[in-house]
Amino acid sequence: MKWCSKDLDMYLQASEYVDTAIVPLIPITWGAQKKNVILKGEFPLILSEEIERQLKGRVFLFPAMTYLASELDEDVLKRISALTSELEHEGMPFTVFITSDARWTGSEELGDRLVNIPPVPLEHMDEEYQREIVSEQVKHILQIVTKKWQNTL
Amino acid sequence: MANKDEVSRRQFLNYTLTGVGGFMAAGMLLPMVRFAIDPVLKQGAGQDMVAVVEENEITEEPQRFTFKVNQKDGWYESEVTQAAWVFKDKNGDIVALSPICKHLGCTVDWGTDPSHPNQFYCPCHGGRYTKDGTNVKGTPPLAPLDVYKKEVKDGKLYLGQAEPQ
Repeated sequence: MKWCSKDLDMYLQASEYVDTAIVPLIPITWGAQKKNVILKGEFPLILSEEIERQLKGRVFLFPAMTYLASELDEDVLKRISALTSELEHEGMPFTVFITSDARWTGSEELGDRLVNIPPVPLEHMDEEYQREIVSEQVKHILQIVTKKWQNTL
Repeated sequence: MANKDEVSRRQFLNYTLTGVGGFMAAGMLLPMVRFAIDPVLKQGAGQDMVAVVEENEITEEPQRFTFKVNQKDGWYESEVTQAAWVFKDKNGDIVALSPICKHLGCTVDWGTDPSHPNQFYCPCHGGRYTKDGTNVKGTPPLAPLDVYKKEVKDGKLYLGQAEPQ
């Protein structure tokens, strides 16, 4: 389900079936590095949408959580844990952060909530190849997410 | 005295004014009418059949094929990729099923549940469908998978809208 009122109505009808929040974790900057930073955001956003399409009935795709590239790790992590604890409290036991920013690799606070995907510059590829790469990565993330679910059905 | 067969000046002016006025009114009204019934005229466009796959590629085992359709979502028009599970049934008839789970709209996969290799399986809540799209009792979905309108022309399979069985 997406972040819109139509899908929220659907959620309210079937909230017992929805237990996973998908949150893209996206750095932003308008400094010299912007091209690089945009690249790190583009791919996880595409993947998150595709995951939502495949698992529409059990996940809720949240608007991206953004942070300035210059923001301190601890400040970002503080916001992240505020979000996850609110979600857990409000009946979303699983939160999955999807990012291509290597900065969060091995972060203890994020732990197994983090799905880190190396960024792929899709802009120069032809469409067929793009779709192949995206669907490969989506399959990979699907496995991670469905594994989380395995013991809960 | 004016002859009965002749047109008087007054009549002539009357006719011309009515004619010209009529044209002007029509000229003004036609675009408006067109504008008003425009959605009616356009409706057929969304239901075009799209070529998906060569007929000879279709096997008895369901295969997933993707195709592109234009979709209008409010004011936002886009090209979306749709998928279909296509196979031939026992009688050799082509069946094209929509992969959208009837429970909550996830995407179902063929044979991914190890204990039920010959069924469609929804990874979200374990919904299952038999090969012909019928929902398996005791799993969450309450209706069979939608079926695409289909047509075979020049050896190619064309698909249209997905409809409930």
